[in-house]
Amino acid sequence: MGISDYFKPVPSWSAEEVRTFLNEKGPEKYNLVDVRQPKEYEQGHLPGAQLIPLGELANRVKELDPNKPTIAY
Amino acid sequence: MGVRSRAAAAILSEAGFKEVYSMKGGINAWEGKVAEGVPEAGMAYFSSAVQPEELLGLAWLLEDGSRKFYTELSSLSKDMEAVALFQELSKAEEKHQASLVSLYKELSGRPFDSEFPKNLIREDPSDERMEGGMLLREALQWAEKKAIKEILELSVSLESNAYDVYLKMERKMEPENAKKVFKVLSAEEKQHLEQLTSFLEKKL
Repeated sequence: MGISDYFKPVPSWSAEEVRTFLNEKGPEKYNLVDVRQPKEYEQGHLPGAQLIPLGELANRVKELDPNKPTIAY
Repeated sequence: MGVRSRAAAAILSEAGFKEVYSMKGGINAWEGKVAEGVPEAGMAYFSSAVQPEELLGLAWLLEDGSRKFYTELSSLSKDMEAVALFQELSKAEEKHQASLVSLYKELSGRPFDSEFPKNLIREDPSDERMEGGMLLREALQWAEKKAIKEILELSVSLESNAYDVYLKMERKMEPENAKKVFKVLSAEEKQHLEQLTSFLEKKL
């Protein structure tokens, strides 16, 4: 096997797709995670987004429900 | 940006989340601003059914990619603090590679195998990748024109993936000596992550 065989691309959505999804579903139906730093979050974030800076995510995965669709930005 | 969101999506997918998306272009795209692209390939995740020895080989190759990335950044950068940090990171990755080689020797029970990791994973110079799976040449091309803040965002993404992978290996690997090695490696990646994030905070 070559190195690229170990990786799969991660699905992504455009901002428009995210907007449509958030408009259609109630906030209890999904996880919306802001993985930037607190300072960036304070300057503005998506409505209802939960702040988990990327550096902390590996240790804080349990705060999110793995069965809900999850959007990260 | 979206580079951190892809690293996040990779971590969540690997943690067993059923449906994960990263938002293209990040907050800029959301606010209707033009979002610049980040290196396309990569920010993906380890396939699950991999043998321990193979995992060591893969980890070694990814450390090698990150080491080259940091070495190059340290010569590109004009910010003295950044130069010092990238040099430190590059040396740390080299040390990690040595730890992986000695663990491979212990686990395989073979004397030093100069073929490692070629005996496990095919090496292709045009397909050199860094931790998190991003192509080295694409990342370097991208970094040439970027400000330190964006380069730090990408570095935070690399280290987050590395940290996550080593945490998982620590849990997954049975032999005690392997657990110990991955515990050290994950603790070091965590420390790099803290150094990089606090540097990024300063540049925001």
